[in-house]
Amino acid sequence: MNTSRFKVKALSWAPYIEPVDVASATEEQLAAMQVTPSNTKVSPYVRTLAHDPESYVARTKLFNAIMYAKGGLDRAERELGALVASAVNRCVYCASVHARRYVELSERADVVEEIYVRGLEGPFEPKIQAIVDFCKALSETPSKVTKEQTQALREHGLSKAEIVDLIHSAAIFGWANRLMHTLGHSTPVDGK
Amino acid sequence: MDQIDILSGLRVDGEVYRIRRERPDYVDGAEICREAVLSPNHGFGLGPALRAALAARMARMIGRNDLARSYELMLEEAGAAEALTAIASAAELPKHQDGFTAAIVRHADLVTKTPRNNTKADIERLEAAGLSNPQIIALSELIAFVNFEARIIAGLELLEQVA
Repeated sequence: MNTSRFKVKALSWAPYIEPVDVASATEEQLAAMQVTPSNTKVSPYVRTLAHDPESYVARTKLFNAIMYAKGGLDRAERELGALVASAVNRCVYCASVHARRYVELSERADVVEEIYVRGLEGPFEPKIQAIVDFCKALSETPSKVTKEQTQALREHGLSKAEIVDLIHSAAIFGWANRLMHTLGHSTPVDGK
Repeated sequence: MDQIDILSGLRVDGEVYRIRRERPDYVDGAEICREAVLSPNHGFGLGPALRAALAARMARMIGRNDLARSYELMLEEAGAAEALTAIASAAELPKHQDGFTAAIVRHADLVTKTPRNNTKADIERLEAAGLSNPQIIALSELIAFVNFEARIIAGLELLEQVA
């Protein structure tokens, strides 16, 4: 029985470059940021990435499909894929967001505690171990993921369609981490 | 079949190919992203040939020579200058490389191999080399996309091989 009460702190994020100023943004940037007269508050990371609105819009659409598509892999397990990638890439901000989401969806604070306190080696229970091992290898060095690691996912009950979702959730965080961790840094939430 | 199907070795009558088609947002989304980072409408002065050369270099660094080859073909179509061919080959850069290009290549290498080690100083080096904010973001998205694509291909290729 999982009795962990481990909590991951919410964090903010601050960019290393000057983000787009909503007041002087181009039409394309405003559309990308979804700024409307009633919605002028845009987070720093959206404003940072809106310097290139075309890639921002394309990636956001793909990101939402991967993390929220109906059916297939459990949403909690997609968040676990995101968390493992973020841990490998040491993206503290992404890890905190997705650790918290994983716990909300799975109530498995014990898994997050294990990852934060002892790292990705585990031991975890078999199915979680299979997911962590696969996503860790894929995030570190894609050419080093083994057939055995892939087979282990099948043996712990994941269908091929679910594994396609898992591959995408880990891979899209290889992408997100390479933005968030290289373009800025996590900061404490104001007033906390 | 698209580039990801082909490089993953998917059979057109196979299960993984069929599963991908049940996720059209993944399939189309990856191709729309590819356009946005390799041949965007607004390139901010980072031309398609430089982008293709960087993509080939990163793919090779990740260990996907097949993916690198596909970007080299793109580079040839865009008109490969000698300096860009050297970038694509993932070799050490010649010493006379201009500072702007050298800074871009250095950043692509670091963020591909060890993103965890990146710091504010790495962004400052790009700024010092003359990159604008839109160029820094466009470069970052390109780097991240190729890393994403290589992982999708590696994962799907294995999945095709297991029972």
